[in-house]
Amino acid sequence: MKVPYVEDKPTQGGSAIPSEDDLGRMIRTTVDNWSPRRGPDWSDLMVRIAGTGPPAWLLYTTASAALVIILVAAYLVGSALQLGALAPQAIPGHIQP
Amino acid sequence: MSESKEELNPATQFRELYDQEYRSVYRSIRAVVLDAAAAEDLTQETFVRAYRARDRYTPTAPPGAWLRRIGINLAISYLRRQKLARFLPARLYVAPDRRDYDRAEARDVVTKALTALSPKLRAAVILHYYDGLTREEIASVLGVPAGTVASRIAKAVAIMRKATGSDQDWEQERSSNEGALRGR
Repeated sequence: MKVPYVEDKPTQGGSAIPSEDDLGRMIRTTVDNWSPRRGPDWSDLMVRIAGTGPPAWLLYTTASAALVIILVAAYLVGSALQLGALAPQAIPGHIQP
Repeated sequence: MSESKEELNPATQFRELYDQEYRSVYRSIRAVVLDAAAAEDLTQETFVRAYRARDRYTPTAPPGAWLRRIGINLAISYLRRQKLARFLPARLYVAPDRRDYDRAEARDVVTKALTALSPKLRAAVILHYYDGLTREEIASVLGVPAGTVASRIAKAVAIMRKATGSDQDWEQERSSNEGALRGR
């Protein structure tokens, strides 16, 4: 198929790579056009603030500390009551050579 | 900041600060996450965190820069979580539906060029070119040395110029081909 040559202007005005200033302008123009769909919503913000629980670090630290306390308490109670593997183990009296 | 605004005290004028800074914080976050819906959610989350910390604000930096520090850090953490979530089994991870976003933004040259950057480079670019912060102010927002900011901006500009240039070349090539076809 024969496609006629059409003179376009890809090289007119020099390189297509924009200068740093042009790039800055392009960024500002593009970003200025970004608008949130809802805009500032103070009541939603207040609902979020009221609905949020303790911060995650506090939650994880408390949960870890509680787990350590439970494990230590279980060990102490098991030892005191001689439960399961925490009871004194019987030593075989007659070991055959 | 690019415009001169009255500096509001977060402890006593939080509502006014919210109304004044909401859009610019949204734009900075959106430039990092490149997702309009996630950016809105993260902007609200930024103000929730700022509200909780408003009594601890010290006026060493303008309140706008303080809000951006919270917002940009939230945005980078969000992207890190998204990246980690991809390693979850398919049933646990539901990929966000980006079709609308992709359709709407596909023609935007700057957005495409920003996509070529890492989130940290995007943050440096947007704080410098859009928010008009100096390298020292950006260093304070991002918590890195000013030299690192300078190298991030230089690297980002090189990548974006190349991406934008090749995109424009492609557009010109396409319009030239379309012109040729129309001429037949």
